[in-house]
Amino acid sequence: MLVSKNRATNSLLKSEKKSLLRFLALYTALVTLLIILLSIFYYQSQEKLMFSNQRAELAQYAYIQTKRLKVLHYFFPERTTYPRDPRFKSAIYDIEYKKIFSVLENEDIHFDKDIYITHKYLHFVKLLDTYYLGSKYLIIEIPEDTVWKKEAWKQIVIGGVSSLILFMIFGLILARLFLKPMRDSIVLLDRFIKDTTHELNTPLSSILTNIEMMDTAIMAEKNRKKLNRINIAAKTVSQLYRDLTYLTLEQGQKDHKEEIELQGLIRDRIEYFTALANSKRLAFKLDMENVIIHADKQKITRVIDNLISNAIKYNKRGGSIGIKLRIGVMEITDTGVGIEEEKIPFIFDRYMRFNQSEGGFGVGLSIVKKILDEYQIRIEVYSKINEGTRMVLRW
Amino acid sequence: MVKKIIVLMILISALSAENIYERNCIPCHKHLPTSLQQMFKEYLLVYSGEQNVKAGIKHYLKYPNRSISVMSELFIDNFGIKKKTMLSPEELDEAVNIYWEKFKVFNKLK
Repeated sequence: MLVSKNRATNSLLKSEKKSLLRFLALYTALVTLLIILLSIFYYQSQEKLMFSNQRAELAQYAYIQTKRLKVLHYFFPERTTYPRDPRFKSAIYDIEYKKIFSVLENEDIHFDKDIYITHKYLHFVKLLDTYYLGSKYLIIEIPEDTVWKKEAWKQIVIGGVSSLILFMIFGLILARLFLKPMRDSIVLLDRFIKDTTHELNTPLSSILTNIEMMDTAIMAEKNRKKLNRINIAAKTVSQLYRDLTYLTLEQGQKDHKEEIELQGLIRDRIEYFTALANSKRLAFKLDMENVIIHADKQKITRVIDNLISNAIKYNKRGGSIGIKLRIGVMEITDTGVGIEEEKIPFIFDRYMRFNQSEGGFGVGLSIVKKILDEYQIRIEVYSKINEGTRMVLRW
Repeated sequence: MVKKIIVLMILISALSAENIYERNCIPCHKHLPTSLQQMFKEYLLVYSGEQNVKAGIKHYLKYPNRSISVMSELFIDNFGIKKKTMLSPEELDEAVNIYWEKFKVFNKLK
């Protein structure tokens, strides 16, 4: 039988999402770091290129200024006017870094570098071999050329963004490959469930109908107990069947909204589960008011059935189940084994089962969450190990 | 007699008004064709900074030698090497400081 992936399978599980997000976060951080490093290297190489272009020109200026200083030196002190040039500014410092004279715009000088940018000015430091007027250092200053910087930033932004997009696409492909085995196993499980569900319907209906038709009044006590056990087992299987049918077939179907009297519906479902509850000697404590909601009855029935059947399944023998119903709030409390706090965020994941002692596929709460989300009903879970669980629905 | 005393007093006061540099450097250098200003520039060319220049001058004055002179070969051939200084280290420091202050380039360019 050909079974295509259904909507539930296509959507990601919480654990899948978490893995995917972790992978993407790590991947994005590494890619960003790589891009930043590459950008820094690119910027530095562009700066070096600019320096090498400017160095020749500045060296020429330094040569001219040195010759002028030489002339000034021989005519000093008769001539005391420091040589100036409209193309550049300059300064002279002695061997002890004391300023002899300066016409620089920016006096922040790095004597350990030969060329550098400081506060929007480019400085070229020339070490003189002959100390005219005592000058060991000649500093040539021109305004910084910003064209290369704008061009470099443009290239970095364009290159960085396009690389990031490319890497992210690549990352998503990688993530999909990474999740594929997990997804394939879910698809396989879905397919198996869907195929087997079809085969369950007819025999199950036949069993339940025949049990209903039997006249238990004329039955011997021993046989009545046996029939009751068959009834419980058949209803458990029926519940499972309905969940699986909902998952594989019904959830894609159109919503048939109607007014539902919740108190009545809950009492019906309690009645349905009475045999199962009695088998564990559970008592129902009901505190309900008349509440009407507008929703698909089949779907709401699935929610109530799953919550009640979980409260029965995971309850202690002789425990109780409390149901409180008010306008906008429904609470189902059990006195069961409880759920570990760190596992609570994952209880609505499909095929997630925390207690292997009970049967089931781990689809019940996944269906509950799906339906509640559809009607914008919030569900809160409070649980304590060995004390019980409280599920609160708010709408 | 009174006249002689007055002249002597004027001479003494004139002598004491001169500093150690003027008393000990100028008298000899004034006979040379290269001025003290020119020689200072020669020191600047070789030694650059204040401490270097002062140290260079002091060393040369203490241990005059052709190989460490800042003057040209021609100058030395014509005028020779000076005699070793007779000044005490303190006097030498003072004389060199005065020489530096007199001819330094700082604050003279415009």
